[in-house]
Amino acid sequence: MPKIERREFLKLVGAGSVGVGAGFMLRETIKHPPEYLIPHVVAPEDFSTGIATWYNTVCSMCSAGCGISVRTREGRAKKIEGNPNHPVSQGKLCGLGQSGLQVLYNPDRLTGPLQRMSARGGETFEQITWNEGLSRVADRLDLLRAAGRGNRICLLSQGVGGHLAQLFELFMAELGSERLLHYDYDHPHTLYAANRQFFGEEHLPYYDLKNTRYLLSFGADYLGNWISPVHHSLGFGHSRQGRPDIRGRFVQIEPRMSMSGAAADEWIAAKPGTEGVLALGLAHHLITQGYYQGADLDAWRQALRDYTTTQVAEQTGVATTTITRLANTFARSQSSLAIGGGIAANHSNGVDTLVAVNALNYLVGNLGKEGGLLFNPEPAGSVSHPRQASFRTMLKLAKDAREGNIEVLILNGTNPAFTMPAAAGFTEALSEIPLIVSLSSFMDETTALADIILPSHTYLESWGDDFPEPGVGFPTGAVSQPVVSPLYNTRATGDIILTLAQHSGLSDAIPWNSMEDCLKDGWREIYERADEETRTESFEVFWRSMLKAGVWGEKSQRDQTFTLAEGVIDNIGVAPPEFSGSPDDYPFVLHPYISNSFHDGRGANLPWMQELPDTMTSVVYGSWVELNPVTAEGLGLKEGDLVDIESPHGRVRAPVYVYPAIMPDVVAMPIGQGHSTYGRYAKDRGVNPIEILSAQMEPHTGSLASSATRVKIVATGKRVELIKTGGTSRDLGREIVQRFDPTAQSKTGGAHSTQLNSIPITTVTT
Amino acid sequence: MNVSIVPALKVLRPAAVVGAVAFFGLFVGYWANALLVPGTSPEQPIAFSHKVHAGDNDIPCMYCHTQARRSISAGVPSVSKCMGCHIEVATEKPQIRKLTSYWDNKEPIPWIKVHDLPDFVHFTHKRHISAGIECQTCHGPVETMERITVTSRAIDGSFQLGTPWEMGLCLNCHKQNEVDNGTDCWTCHK
Repeated sequence: MPKIERREFLKLVGAGSVGVGAGFMLRETIKHPPEYLIPHVVAPEDFSTGIATWYNTVCSMCSAGCGISVRTREGRAKKIEGNPNHPVSQGKLCGLGQSGLQVLYNPDRLTGPLQRMSARGGETFEQITWNEGLSRVADRLDLLRAAGRGNRICLLSQGVGGHLAQLFELFMAELGSERLLHYDYDHPHTLYAANRQFFGEEHLPYYDLKNTRYLLSFGADYLGNWISPVHHSLGFGHSRQGRPDIRGRFVQIEPRMSMSGAAADEWIAAKPGTEGVLALGLAHHLITQGYYQGADLDAWRQALRDYTTTQVAEQTGVATTTITRLANTFARSQSSLAIGGGIAANHSNGVDTLVAVNALNYLVGNLGKEGGLLFNPEPAGSVSHPRQASFRTMLKLAKDAREGNIEVLILNGTNPAFTMPAAAGFTEALSEIPLIVSLSSFMDETTALADIILPSHTYLESWGDDFPEPGVGFPTGAVSQPVVSPLYNTRATGDIILTLAQHSGLSDAIPWNSMEDCLKDGWREIYERADEETRTESFEVFWRSMLKAGVWGEKSQRDQTFTLAEGVIDNIGVAPPEFSGSPDDYPFVLHPYISNSFHDGRGANLPWMQELPDTMTSVVYGSWVELNPVTAEGLGLKEGDLVDIESPHGRVRAPVYVYPAIMPDVVAMPIGQGHSTYGRYAKDRGVNPIEILSAQMEPHTGSLASSATRVKIVATGKRVELIKTGGTSRDLGREIVQRFDPTAQSKTGGAHSTQLNSIPITTVTT
Repeated sequence: MNVSIVPALKVLRPAAVVGAVAFFGLFVGYWANALLVPGTSPEQPIAFSHKVHAGDNDIPCMYCHTQARRSISAGVPSVSKCMGCHIEVATEKPQIRKLTSYWDNKEPIPWIKVHDLPDFVHFTHKRHISAGIECQTCHGPVETMERITVTSRAIDGSFQLGTPWEMGLCLNCHKQNEVDNGTDCWTCHK
């Protein structure tokens, strides 16, 4: 036993203690932190822990009005799917609809009322209470109403339907203002106008894609974003694969291949803006070949005399053989259907083009027929269209603002500062308005100009209803209900309007305490005039079962007989399109198209949509400009080269994407990116092609002719890596693309398509 | 000239002894922690006794854990459920006073989770209850516990208090009862 000195002993004890302590703490630190089981104080009645509850409601990501089912657990929304009961979506949903969760949970949501603390242009806001915000607005409204200047109040909303639209009507009427406008960038004004001219009614018909055998689509990207893409996709699927012996055939006519063009059996590029001429060329062939035998045959023959096949081929660039073949197949396939929209309608001759498409349907008897075009009954409730502001109306609003005739502007969800061309001067005009109030859920470009922000709930937190447009052939409507409790200190748009109304003493005309009451009263009226099948029990039973199903509908269908309106035939004709900018200085036509991911830009703050590869190019997270390989080669450009796209009204900078399926004198850019604000995911990413559009209009409707701007491409000498998921666009010997020698005379497709494309598009004989 | 490292080691020896003692202490401390603060039976905010409720008073498990037969999770009763009885029963006991103060403040009781599975295991109570498995099969003799302790079972079926669950527990039972796809990876790991 060695002798241990006192000093040694103390050393050893010290070392031992430190070791024990360290060991104790070591285990303490590597332990799992305790998890807690936090019970409810009072158990909720509408859900059980661990069990999903599904609520049916209505999607508000675009104007189609799909029914959705939202899966919630423990009071939180987890997943959105299509509502199988709803006739528009039938259990299906698009990517944008699925991303609704990221609207709800978006980290950049406005969480409470704000007021501006700096001059416009800065973004310094201060939190205020709802009472402060509401009374500031209500006081101003009162003042104007008392002075008889109610008309100086403007309510500019995104497209809304149902009882919220009616509440807006009542509120503005009581304030004494006629300035109630809905504004959506892609509202199909031209389609409504063409239907009014041709059918005498300003509603969208039902396009029966499901039962059609042969579809001619003039520019309408019906699978991507045209009026009701989810429903059209359902119809497309059924037409292709849902019928045992019949496979529907689809032809897409557009200068730049869209997703619908890629899915079609045949893609045909007519010169931009001549789609209507092509439609009349087909009509002329139908008349001369005796496919049409109506009493007004002579009038048609007279009206279409200038649209002979050779003349049309010359104007459109489509071969005569193609024209006659399309017309013959269209007439012989029963049922066939022609639809038009999108790029074909975004020209100075948009309405005439769509009238010409309607004429095609008329001449082969597709109207009111299964597999053709069916007429919808009157919508069972309010729809947005009558209040939709065209580009011309928006310019008038800007002019009024500049002249000091607008004193209060209330914005609800719409973002014209982003979706109006810079040439319109809309943003500058807004700054002349003394008080701008925004009810938006996000700090978008227009809300950033507001003086007071009263943020509304997202659609998953609020009550509302919707009557789908286009309809589905029978009267239907759907109630949207909150699926979760509000996450933040926000309020429903309807409730904000009701509070303002109460504050201003308008309770006699607008008696409801909440949007839910307003909705229930409105639906009680619908219930009372509904058919007997609906009115089997009490209203309460009906209401509950409708909330459960998410939708209500009647079986009745409309009489489908049709007589042509007076003067249609005499006025038929499509003028050549007008473009801004001379072809010498600006050699290319710019085609800005609605992105499937971002719609008109509203989806840019959703990370899922940002990372979703574009359907045709597979590019993610940015903007690009699509150039034909021939064009790119002529300019000495390769993929990823940064270029300036310059119009007479400005320029934007984007990398080149070489796209074989676009006409050589057309360049295309997706809409949606290029936000200067709108949250962390959208801000400073890509460019907005709407900025450089010229203020060209379609004269009948005053809607923006968004495909009528010419541009030039100026190389900058810089390059960026284009972020995309697609690998090479070349075949690399895998024999996945059918090829043939473009110099040899094609037996099937004619010379037309081979001239236009470096990857030849084979056409299939009928 | 001979060079030796022995003198240098002699100088280092006291330091080596001190280091060895400290190293030994490290193990002692670690073991002491495991003995004194095992974490398999944490102290709860209220000293709730399953023995009193499920044992002495014979209250069925699913009277309080109502979700077990319907849901993936068994569910912890809401404070209002506790107050359903304790507005009358044993109101003067100190632990019940604690409960009443939570209720009066409308605050939830922050129970510490004892039985836990990793996030990569998909377990559902509903399936096991509807197959007629007793709660005690996995959770041990809860009706005898003053404070809940993690409990596993040896292969002979005897309870092993303080031992957390491992995959063998699931697999043994799935094999013995010949569960359909009971040993398929994706049955639990999905």
